[in-house]
Amino acid sequence: MNAILHAQQLTKHYPGSIALDHVDFTANGGESIAIIGPSGSGKTTLLHCLAGILRPDAGAITLNTPSSPLRLDTLGDAGLSRLRREEFGFVFQQGMLLPELTALENVALALMLNGTDRNTSEARAAEWLGALGLAGMEQRRLGELSGGQVQRVAIARAQVTGARVVFADEPTGALDSATSAEVLNVLLRSVAANGRTLLVVTHDPNVAARCQRVVELRDGRIVSDSGSPVPAPNFPAQATQAAPATANFKGAFNV
Amino acid sequence: MSSLSMALRLTPYLARSNGSSFRETGLRDAGLPILAFGTVTALLLTVAGGSQVFWSWSDDIAGTYQALAVVAMVLLVIPLLTLGASAARLAARRRDDRLASLRLLGANSATVVWMTVIESTVLAAVGALAGAGLYACMAPFLGLIQFRGQAIGSHAWLSVPSILGCVLAVCVLAAASAALGLRKVVVTPLGVRTRQTADGAHWVRGLIAAVVVVVGVVAMGMLSSFGAFVVIIAVMGGCFGLALLALNLMGPWILRLRASSQLKRAKRPEQLLAARTVLESPKESWRQVGGVAMTSFVGVFVGVGMAVADTMGTGADAEATLLVRDINTGVMITLLGSFLMVACSAGVNQAAAVLDRASTLVALDRVGMPRKLMVAARVKAVMSPLFLVAGISAAAAAVLVLPLTGAALLTQPVVILTIGGVFAAGFLLVRLAVAAGTAQIGQVLARPERYASMDS
Repeated sequence: MNAILHAQQLTKHYPGSIALDHVDFTANGGESIAIIGPSGSGKTTLLHCLAGILRPDAGAITLNTPSSPLRLDTLGDAGLSRLRREEFGFVFQQGMLLPELTALENVALALMLNGTDRNTSEARAAEWLGALGLAGMEQRRLGELSGGQVQRVAIARAQVTGARVVFADEPTGALDSATSAEVLNVLLRSVAANGRTLLVVTHDPNVAARCQRVVELRDGRIVSDSGSPVPAPNFPAQATQAAPATANFKGAFNV
Repeated sequence: MSSLSMALRLTPYLARSNGSSFRETGLRDAGLPILAFGTVTALLLTVAGGSQVFWSWSDDIAGTYQALAVVAMVLLVIPLLTLGASAARLAARRRDDRLASLRLLGANSATVVWMTVIESTVLAAVGALAGAGLYACMAPFLGLIQFRGQAIGSHAWLSVPSILGCVLAVCVLAAASAALGLRKVVVTPLGVRTRQTADGAHWVRGLIAAVVVVVGVVAMGMLSSFGAFVVIIAVMGGCFGLALLALNLMGPWILRLRASSQLKRAKRPEQLLAARTVLESPKESWRQVGGVAMTSFVGVFVGVGMAVADTMGTGADAEATLLVRDINTGVMITLLGSFLMVACSAGVNQAAAVLDRASTLVALDRVGMPRKLMVAARVKAVMSPLFLVAGISAAAAAVLVLPLTGAALLTQPVVILTIGGVFAAGFLLVRLAVAAGTAQIGQVLARPERYASMDS
């Protein structure tokens, strides 16, 4: 397996508490990893640090990009922004989509931010929405969609750019159990079909059970990891295995 | 338990629960509405105090002053009431989410309406009393303004009952506006939280506005046939007032039309976001730029006033010279008041707009939208319709005064220059307010956890 994201001795403090306590973590290409743990265990903080949303107080985070390994902890705000829009995709509990945009525009915006023209962006977004079972709903605003449909839009947005790592924070937390299962199917199948790596923070044992690997955090430390222990990787100076960041939708999955 | 008594019990509870996060949200929640209500009240009292001077005169020329005072009052009071309503909506909107949640928990419509009305009225009362205090501090200085060759002095001071009446009027405005503004929450508790529908801005608004302007033009053309001086003043003031209200009615519809066309042509992310921001709520977008519509309208009158003063001043006798000087003083005061309103309205609305969209900004940041694009989208959403808005309202004002002045006076260089200067100053004020608002984007993104779980 190829390590795609590696964190070493990651430490993050909040006033009066330690959220991450010298955490070592490696995600491999194409893996689906559930990060579980009780509230306050540091799982969301770990996800946010790995995704370049939060800066760790100490430790190193390295992303294996096609050109060369990239140290996230040394990037400035602009560099992290670029990384998030080119390399990463996000699915949050509340979707974090824009309520004033249509479903199609929400997905297309991710591509437009990378410089793709609007027509191409919307065509590709429509392709993704169709593949995720939202054909005919492209022009609906988020308020006109159900919770499960909104999460499908978020799943499409997270992957339309060809993001190599998809981060999901309680993606089914606000859904009923039937819709949760449905959304989880869509997420896992689309991620697997397109060769993405998925990191999902969850409280839900059903979600964790569907992932290839489960990492448990407690008090800011990893207390168990169902995957084989992964040694600290030696990133090649010129990696070749990764898909291009603008890879198109492959559509090879059923929803 | 009655709805009112339940509202009286719940309101302080909700106000207290908000206290823990006051530092983060206090500016939007209480500070901005209080500031806006305070400014509205201080300006209203100043306008009322100034105009009462003219009504204390009874000699031959008093009628001319009174006619001009009515025009100035209408030009200032209508935008002031609009600003007041805007502040009231701001005060009410801050509670939308909580009130919607209360509705979901089973609070009935009446309780929610009462809570909103009570909160808005309390904020309005605090702001209005502060505004009255500000007026009291300014009154001695206002007394130094000269009309008819002498300082107006204590004639411009309002009596305590008048001041309290004005404070009460601001509170009533706030209460009524809050109750009306929350109709959607009361009818559909889920609607606010999920933002199910975009604000409408129907074409009927444009039709009504056009009819009002046409009726105004006809009435202005027939002014001399009304006979009695008081009727002429009333018709003139009514026409200007209705035209300003018509502009307020039509504005959101115009913005929606323009944004729809921009949405179709948008190629870049910031263009798409700017157009969608306007379409999401044309009424809110109008509040961002409506102040400039008002100053542009006033600017035409100021230009005409200055041209009239120029014409009269040539070879005039002592009384006419004094009148010319007073007209100039009057137009300057009107213009100053108008710009104060734009500054206040733009500042309040911009700050509120950024804070209201905090969750959207956090969402955009998460997907990697560069901050400069967020700023560009915000600037574009506000500045792009300004030219159109200013142009339409100046045109409406010009059409209305045309029957009185004729085309020759309207096209004098002093009129054109004045209107151009007013446009430029209005644009500058709004741009500064937008800059102040966008500066808050950094503060929002520095504490994303405060907003990340909000309504998007």
